[in-house]
Parts: sequence; C-alpha cells; structure tokens
Amino acid sequence: MSEIAYGRLGSKKRRTRMMNIITVVAVVFFAILAIFPIWWIFRTSLMTNAEIYRYPPALTPDKWLFSNYEKTLEIFKFWKYLWNTMVIIVPSCLAGTFTATLCGYAFARLRFRGKNLIWALCIGSMLLPAMVTLIPLYIGWTRGLGVSDSYWPLILPYFCGGGAFNIFLIRQFIMSIPRELDQAATIDGAGYFRILFSIIMPAIRPAMIVVALFIFIGLWNDLLQQMIYINSSDKYTIALGLTNFRGQLKSDWSMTMAATCLSFAPGVIFYLIGQRYFVEGITLTGLKN
Amino acid sequence: METVNKLPKRRSRFYSSEARVAYICLIPAFLGLIFLTYLPLLGVLGISLTNWTGLKPPEFIGFENYIKLFTSDPYIKDSIITTIYFAVLSVIGSMIYSLFIAMMLNRKIPARSFFRAVFYIPYVLPAVAIYVGWSWLYEGNFGFFNYLLSEIGLNKIHFIADSSYVVPSLSLISVWLSGNLIVIFLAGLQNVPSVYHEAAEMDGANGWQRFRHITLPCMTPIIFYNLLMSLIANLQVVTPALALTNGGPGNSTRFLTYLMYDQAFVNYKIGYACATTLIIFAILSVFTIILFKTSNRWIYNEGGDDK
Repeated sequence: MSEIAYGRLGSKKRRTRMMNIITVVAVVFFAILAIFPIWWIFRTSLMTNAEIYRYPPALTPDKWLFSNYEKTLEIFKFWKYLWNTMVIIVPSCLAGTFTATLCGYAFARLRFRGKNLIWALCIGSMLLPAMVTLIPLYIGWTRGLGVSDSYWPLILPYFCGGGAFNIFLIRQFIMSIPRELDQAATIDGAGYFRILFSIIMPAIRPAMIVVALFIFIGLWNDLLQQMIYINSSDKYTIALGLTNFRGQLKSDWSMTMAATCLSFAPGVIFYLIGQRYFVEGITLTGLKN
Repeated sequence: METVNKLPKRRSRFYSSEARVAYICLIPAFLGLIFLTYLPLLGVLGISLTNWTGLKPPEFIGFENYIKLFTSDPYIKDSIITTIYFAVLSVIGSMIYSLFIAMMLNRKIPARSFFRAVFYIPYVLPAVAIYVGWSWLYEGNFGFFNYLLSEIGLNKIHFIADSSYVVPSLSLISVWLSGNLIVIFLAGLQNVPSVYHEAAEMDGANGWQRFRHITLPCMTPIIFYNLLMSLIANLQVVTPALALTNGGPGNSTRFLTYLMYDQAFVNYKIGYACATTLIIFAILSVFTIILFKTSNRWIYNEGGDDK
C-alpha cells in the first residue's frame, strides 16, 4: 500500500519537474521573441546604412557606431523634447495623483449631502471615452480662452481629479482600509485632513503610485492631443519630435532607429526604478476591481 | 452603513465640518466634471446639429450631419469595419497571449521577476517610438519579417504599405504591448486557491481539465476587467494612423478616431466631426453594454458576494 503511494508520488514529482523544464524553455523562447524587436531596433541604430541593407542581415553590428547617435542628436533635439515632455508629465502626475486622492477620500470616508449624485456623475464620466470631449475642449481652449501652442490644455485637466477611473481606484483602496484606524485617530483628536495625510495616504501608497503610472503612460503614449494643441517645433514633445523626425528622414533607417532608441530610454529607466511598486500596485488594482 | 447609523446625528450634514472637508476635497472633481466632462458632452451634441466650420458663425441644421454620415459619407462605413476588425483582432490576440504568458509565469520558474519585466517593458515605451521602430521591422524589402519570409521561400509582403496586411500587422504590435494585462492576469492566477487544484488532482483531473474547470472560472472576473479595458482602448485606436500610415494605404487604416481628427482638424468640418464623434461613442457604448449584459452569464462569482 505505502509502496504504491510512494511510487505514484515519485512519478508525479518527475512529471512536475518535466513540466517545469518545458515551461522554462517556453518562457525563455517567448521572452526572446518579446525582446527581439527592441534588440533589432537597437542593433540597427548602431549600423551604417550599407550594413543595414546587407543580405543576410547580421544579428549584431560589425562596429558599434555610437557616432550615429551624435549625428542623430544634431537634428533630433532629444534633450529638449524630453524636457518638454517632462514639463507636461511631472506636474500632471503630481497634481492628478493628489487630487484623485482627495476626491477618493471624500467618496470613501466622508458623509455629505449630494454624495450619491456626485458619485453617480463621476462613474458616468468613466464611461465617456476621452475622444468624445476632444473637439469641444479644443474649441473651449482655443476660441473660448484664446490659448494656443501651450501645454496648459494638456496639463490642467489633471488638476481636476485626474480622471474618474483614478478616483474610483483610490476610493476602492481607501474602502479596503479598516475604519478603526481613522476612528482611533479621531479619538486622539486628529482632523479629517490629518487622517488623510498621516493615515490614509501612507496606507494607499501602492494605489497612488499606480495612478501616477497610469497618468504617465497616458501622456507618454498620447499623440493626438499633443498634435492639436502644440504647433511650434521648440515646444515639441518626444512623441511629436519623433513623428516629425521620421517624416523628414524616411529612408535613413539607422538615424531613425537611433531616435527611436533614445525615445525608448526614459521609459525603460523609469520602469527599472519603479518596477517593484508598479507590479505591486497593478497587481492590487487588478484584484480590487 | 450600520456604523453610519450608530454615530450621533450631526446638527446638519450640510454645515458639519465633515461635509465642509468633503466639499473642499471635491472642488477639483466638481470643476472637472462640469468643465471637462458634462459641458463638453453637451457641446458635442449641440455642435453636431450645426454646420460649423470654425470660420462663419454656426447655423442650426438639425440632423443633416447624421443623415449625410449615414447616406453619403465615403469613409464612415469602411472606417467602422476597419476599427472593429482591428479591435477584435487585437483584443482576442492580446487576451490569449497575455493569459498564456501569465500562466507560464505562474509556475515555479527561476528569475520570474526578470521575465515579467521582459514581457512588461514594451508597455512603458512611448507609442510613437514603438510604431516607428516596428515600421522598420515591417519594412517592405529589408525589414526583418521579410528576411524571415525570404528564408522560408515566400514572397515579400509590404506589411504596412499593403492594405490587406496593414491592420493585422498593427494588431500584432498591440498584442506585443499587452504587458499590463499579463501582470493583472498573473495576480489573478496567484489568487486562485491552490486547494481547488490539489483536490482536483486527487480526483484525477488532468492539466486541461483543471484549466477549464478551475483556473478559467476563477479568473472570469479578471478576464472581464481586462477584456473591457482593452476593448475600449483598442476601439479608440488612433496613434498608428497619426504616426505611421496617415489613414492609408488607401483608406485601410482610417480608424474612426482618425476619421474624426481628419474631419475636424484637417478639413475644419467641426459640426460634421462632432456627429462622427457621437457615432463612435454609440459604437463604444454598444460594445460595453453587450459585454456587461452577457457578463453575468459567464462570470463566476465565488460565494455569490457582490462587489
């Protein structure tokens, strides 16, 4: 009896080991597939144009021509574009995260007249995709307020709660924190803002980081809004600069790929710094909704 | 709710310091809801009933824009089909890809966080750079994919410049970008109680049966969330058309949002573009409603607790 059980256990163990080895091989294979486009773009950015068109193509450049980047930077004003992009992103992330937290706190914890109505309006706006309001907002900014060629239309919306989805996310997080914590603080004489800043905010840090990440990614990927609001080339962001650069240098692939790689870099660095928080935060977000 | 009732009643909920704090906290949201959401929504509705071009003052023309869109617009029908085609391909592809990768990453493998980073990284790169970079891989003569095709003896394909390949080619990029879905799926998989799997294994269920009857049902809420998010995002696709194809070749990537952009910001038919906007909104709503209506049929709700 015990022998049979042992035998079955042994074969099961061997099978699981086998499966694990297959999984590792498959994961490595798919990881190479996933990273390959980035490698191909990077290797092209270091080649001469003659080398790019050679058949069969090489997996690595003969000489690592970092001088391509110097040449590219003469036309592709990367540092300026990066600065401009950050001028939009940094205040948006900070303000969006902060105001979303304020609103989320009010909805999760405070009692006030009209709460249900305002909450319903908030949820309702979540179902409204951003592109629906694009044209009237554009008209409002350019005709109504006379703002043109400015970053304000891109930044200012994030001072208004950072979007209903982010408010919703923060609210869900705050609701999962035991109320006893705030009540204890109330007994100790803490006001509502004190509770928010010294109890709630530290507890929902992962959610706040995710909100900042979502705002970052949204602005980082946006091209349409930047295209309609920004005209002059010295205000170009990375997205606009790269689109324009590609238009100018359609066939010079090594320089185009160098500009592409430069545009990749901030995202990768940003991710490597914040990796732990993003994964933790996104994980929680996925499960909370 | 119970705790609320137990607390002593305040003098008035309007003037209490609690309400005051709440209103202060909500000032940004008030402003946002009024000026960034509901007024602009009314604006779209209003402008869509005019012939405004931005030059002359608008004239009220009733539903003429809508009639024109449905009867004589040369682009809208193809645009709807293209957008839905792109969205469906992208959503199905990225759901399968990300669930598959997440399931592999959920097994005990070495350097799991490294691999997770590898699959996640495309998501943090700027979209324009991704499309420009991939346009080189897709290049018609010397691109990497054409090198592969010639190696296996097939004819070259102009992936981006051929109207029958461009949408699937762009969808493949969308699939590649689904790192966020992978991380969310992975979190969901880690939440599937392992006792279920152990019990099923005792009963002799094989790998597929366990996937079909344990993993999949437990994951349905997360599948729903990912499905909804990626469907809404993909139906609004516009960046590849703006950065890469300008709606072409022909009209094969004239996605709905690009069509709206073209009408409003290239041809200055603002009233007409607002009517298009509302049609896009209607299509998005239809998809969302279908998803929600059918969701209670396939979403498994453990213990029936509602959230």
